[in-house]
Amino acid sequence: MNSLRRWETLLFVLLLAVVSLNATESRYYLGVGNFINLFQLSIEKSIVALMMAFVIIGAEIDLSVASVMGLAACVMAYTFQQGAPLPLAILLALAAGVLAGLNNAFWIAYVGLPSLAVTLAGLIGYRGLARILVEDRAIGGFPLWFNALGQQGLIGPLTLSIMIFVILFVFFAVLLHASAFGRLVYVVGSNVEAARYSGVRVARVKTALFAGSACVSALAGVLYAARLGSVRGDMAEGFELDVITTVLLGGVSIFGGKGNMVGVGLSLLLILNLRNGMGLADITGNTQNYVIGGLLILSVLVPNIYQDIQNKWKGRER
Amino acid sequence: MSKLLMGVAAAALLTLLPQVATADDGMATPGKDVSMVLLPKFLGILPFDQAHKGAEEAAQELKNPAKLQFLGPTPQNSVAGQIEIVTNATTQGVKAILLSNNSGDQIVPAAKAAQAKGIKVVTWDSPIPSSEGEDVFVAQVDFGDIGKVMADMTLNLTGPEGGEFAILSASPDAANQNAWIAAMKVALKDAKYAKLKLDDIVYGNDESEKSYTQAQALLDKYPKIKVIMAPTSVGIVAAAKALQDEKLCDKVKISGLGLPSEMLAYTKNGCAPEFALWSFVDLGYLAYTTAYQLATGTLEAKEGAKFKAGRMGEFTITKDPTRAKGLRVLMGPFTIYNKDNVEAAAK
Amino acid sequence: MARVNWLRRHVRPEQLRELSLLALIVVAVMFFGSMIEGYYSFRTFNRIASSVAIIGVVAVGQTLVVLTRNIDLSVGSIAGFTAFFVGTLIANHNGVNPLLAVAISIAIGGALGVVNGVLVAWGRVPAVVVTLGTLAIYRGVLVDLSGAKTVTTDSLPQWLVDLPRLNIAPVGDLDVRPLFVVAVVIVILFQFGMGYLSFARRFYAIGSNPEAAQLIGLPLKRVVFIAFVVSGALAGLAGFMTLARFGNITVEAGRGLELNVVAAVVVGGVNIFGGSGRVTGAMLGAIMIGTLEQSLFRLGVSEFWRDALLGLLILLAVASDAVILKRLNRIWARTELKRIDSLAERAP
Repeated sequence: MNSLRRWETLLFVLLLAVVSLNATESRYYLGVGNFINLFQLSIEKSIVALMMAFVIIGAEIDLSVASVMGLAACVMAYTFQQGAPLPLAILLALAAGVLAGLNNAFWIAYVGLPSLAVTLAGLIGYRGLARILVEDRAIGGFPLWFNALGQQGLIGPLTLSIMIFVILFVFFAVLLHASAFGRLVYVVGSNVEAARYSGVRVARVKTALFAGSACVSALAGVLYAARLGSVRGDMAEGFELDVITTVLLGGVSIFGGKGNMVGVGLSLLLILNLRNGMGLADITGNTQNYVIGGLLILSVLVPNIYQDIQNKWKGRER
Repeated sequence: MSKLLMGVAAAALLTLLPQVATADDGMATPGKDVSMVLLPKFLGILPFDQAHKGAEEAAQELKNPAKLQFLGPTPQNSVAGQIEIVTNATTQGVKAILLSNNSGDQIVPAAKAAQAKGIKVVTWDSPIPSSEGEDVFVAQVDFGDIGKVMADMTLNLTGPEGGEFAILSASPDAANQNAWIAAMKVALKDAKYAKLKLDDIVYGNDESEKSYTQAQALLDKYPKIKVIMAPTSVGIVAAAKALQDEKLCDKVKISGLGLPSEMLAYTKNGCAPEFALWSFVDLGYLAYTTAYQLATGTLEAKEGAKFKAGRMGEFTITKDPTRAKGLRVLMGPFTIYNKDNVEAAAK
Repeated sequence: MARVNWLRRHVRPEQLRELSLLALIVVAVMFFGSMIEGYYSFRTFNRIASSVAIIGVVAVGQTLVVLTRNIDLSVGSIAGFTAFFVGTLIANHNGVNPLLAVAISIAIGGALGVVNGVLVAWGRVPAVVVTLGTLAIYRGVLVDLSGAKTVTTDSLPQWLVDLPRLNIAPVGDLDVRPLFVVAVVIVILFQFGMGYLSFARRFYAIGSNPEAAQLIGLPLKRVVFIAFVVSGALAGLAGFMTLARFGNITVEAGRGLELNVVAAVVVGGVNIFGGSGRVTGAMLGAIMIGTLEQSLFRLGVSEFWRDALLGLLILLAVASDAVILKRLNRIWARTELKRIDSLAERAP
């Protein structure tokens, strides 16, 4: 069986297991309100994870996503406080994201620095910029329509963020699997030198990846601000770890060139349900973290061991 | 016939009486099943454990059959974690949430959703700044008074000739520390403190290592500094050690808010001759009792309501003078620790 | 001119990388010295040395791991775990022999590193996955086992509390502090080991081309395993140093250390794709970042501007390093080609 399809099957089985466990453990689990919460509590991270999948498939990494989220939210809050109408402030926030992404892309695609180093500097630097704008204040007082968009259902119980997530998921799935750009990303991720020699404009692909990543992060930052109703300098701090964990659990290889959206989607559902179930069972965040950490390791280890046993049983030596 | 009427009337009166007797009486009726969640800023430091102890003590006294859930986020995921716990508690339909708020106004949507479901939201130690989503804030001390006490302790330590000092706080977004520092700045305007000069405010994020290096940096940057004021139990200990390591304890002093058990050595050796705190155990006890009474209906969250909180005596809900809106239960005065009383308190 | 030619012919550009980084550090120091009064003092040196010592020790271990084309993100949790565990141990048994305490720290760290090594080498789980997982697991287990206690200096014996202030060899005003000495000794030890032991050559081989290394019979799994055990052991030692330096250990100790260490390694010119880089490079990277951080503190730059500037400066350091290296490579290639041309001309 194709190893990738095996991964998705494993994730699906785990998802079913977690869902049934949750349903039996807690009577509050199966309810529309809870399912909305389940998504809402981590919706911004989930949106960023969709784009991060592209970046990692392209054999790169973007550690600065959480800081760009914070920076965008702070740009929006700061300009709003200075008197700009909120729609303009939001546009400025998204523009800040694009600028940050282009900055990352320049150093990585054109100067040739490793993305780990550049986005690490970005993680520190963009957070610093956010702090310069907001310092130790919290900025709130956004108009009611903005808060309502973040906190209340737009169509039925579904919030704007959830709808954006679904739309982006479909869009990215199509982009990754059915478009030329998606194929380019896979090619650049598998063997960047071969891609270059085949005439692929590697620099442009990478620019698209990092600009897109920062743009999506900026959008997520604005949505996060709407959900929370107020902006602080430390918003979204530490989110990058969760995002990367989700993508890796989805079967995307850290070395690039492998992975698909279905896996990432299943991984998202799995982690969200797992966290929700544990939360309803009054298990603290600390324990949740190491359960997810263990799951991450086991998700790769168990198939490997299974494969080893299969090979040995079939008398074949790897 | 008349006897029947009398009997019915008497029965009716008897059924009415308990409600009349207990409503707004402020006396808790023990034994009610009230599921509650105690939610500190994050898990892992002693003050919150002490608050938990106090809350459990109250739970025992009130014979609440529902176990108190002590849940909290990790320090680096404090905001998102607190919001998640409040949301999940709302789903579970608990009766009250006891929150030491680390999320500023960002927790308002989740808190309001909880209130909409009939859950009582009682904050303690650190309130919701806008007071939205909050029923009442159980304050350990008057936040304005803390400012004065910090100013007084600083003046005490510099001596009447005054001098330079700096503040080492927790997180730049911590509502309570920011309120105390603001109160201190207001207090400093008084002519009595004219000779004190505030050099800088730095943030240690309640992290031992960061607080230590920030304290060191203060000592480097301001060679004439005489006092470091640290209104955070993690920061004050780290700063005291930094001072001790730099061998500057005779020229510079540490003060602020700290736990006697953690500050014992530094008070005895002169690095931290004076600092203050309140009892977190008492705070937890009071917060629990307040929430219990609110949830069971023997207390209403409105101005002027009085109630009896077990071993701690009588309290009144008042307007919170340190915030634009909001109600407050003021626990009481705090203790200033110095080498005379610190050892007894450290036990 | 002849000497420069000799230099160009015999010294490869990568070897000059550390020199260029050193030059950048000197430039930074001069820059800050011109803006901060009293900067050129032993106090500044000690400040930078103390913060660099802990990061430097872990960076040495991380270099070994990165050379083999892996990464160890769990070092912060290992250091925190060790600091807390050993701290509690010493607090409860004040009479513990200091050297034994250090040995226990290294052993605990090594044991945690063994788990990483086994999963990566034999479990064939990518290092980033394993160490992201163990980062959470080790930290989680620490928090659960600790019972929310903090190790405080009160409970620690005097020798431990005094350790950071101890003056090993006072040279005039210069205090030579033990933590820094430990870091320097470790760097020198490992640098010599990696440079001269033929066994060490395997790390480079495996990192440059794992498949080829395996084909020629190098024990890939064993070498990777050893890299992780060493990384863990050094993180354990760093945990002990953290305990000594800060005294008050909460369950959050060591949080974020992995970020600083990876930054040091990357700035130090160790190739994140494996196969090249030196331990001294990582140490210089740690020194560069430590210098930038401490100097920004002193500069009177507002708290809120510091991180933005730090990010920018790290980026510039990595960029200028890469640009210098490219230039050097080009010069080296040109001279080599010229030499080959001239040889070809002379040949019949």
